[in-house]
Amino acid sequence: MTDTEMRALCHCFFDAIERGDYAAVEQIYAPQFRMWVNLTGTESTAEENLSVLRDGAKLHRRRTYDDRIVNTFANGFIVQYSVNVVTHSGARTSLAACVVAQCHNGQITRIDEYLDSGKFRSRAKAQASEERIRT
Amino acid sequence: MTEGEIRELCNRFFDAYQDRRVDELAEIYSQDCVVWHNVFGGREMSGKDNLAALPASYDGQRRRTYNDRIINTFDGGFVIQYTLHGVQHSGHKGALWICIVGACSNGKITRIDEYMDSGKFPVWRGARSIEENAS
Repeated sequence: MTDTEMRALCHCFFDAIERGDYAAVEQIYAPQFRMWVNLTGTESTAEENLSVLRDGAKLHRRRTYDDRIVNTFANGFIVQYSVNVVTHSGARTSLAACVVAQCHNGQITRIDEYLDSGKFRSRAKAQASEERIRT
Repeated sequence: MTEGEIRELCNRFFDAYQDRRVDELAEIYSQDCVVWHNVFGGREMSGKDNLAALPASYDGQRRRTYNDRIINTFDGGFVIQYTLHGVQHSGHKGALWICIVGACSNGKITRIDEYMDSGKFPVWRGARSIEENAS
């Protein structure tokens, strides 16, 4: 795949997740796709990841993948980005993340994702605080 | 810089970091080098400030090794995925999975973006209780 093809694939992938188009995400994942996340150190399959994405989307009103800095290497891409989330309560949070993806024949074969779970705790604390104020 | 030069610079950087050769790191960082982490408040620091903080940081562990290095290069930089193994003064052994995106120019590193999970820090330090894990 060319540099341009990999960049396009990267944006197709994040755009599809943003709009909740999981059929498109499924098309982007190769049959042998594996996802690894630094939070757990375990790998998951395409099916397992799609399930996580669907469940995760229900937790927020909106989730956008912004400030994408994409670089490509021989067989893949690196994207550094900010996940900006609007919760159902209207609170906004942001998380900096990095994905290293391997690509082949127009599909993604592997994703290694690096993020900080400390930001989830901050968000949970903020949500708990909001709920205390409301009640 | 060629792919070979960028790979060599990346390994030189991690070897120097591992061996605590701060003088060598000062040679590797460009004058205007910037270091950013997705943890520690997500602030940028200068290469000089980063180097100044290293001796105190090294005091935290008996030994650190940067293993399982997977390096890919792109136009103007590299991405490295690795496991940081540390031996604390207590003898406790911990590991962190980290990804660094490095920008390079003229044989030097001009920017480092480091991604890790702060949720793993208590286990890395060998915290023994829930209270210590919460800190």
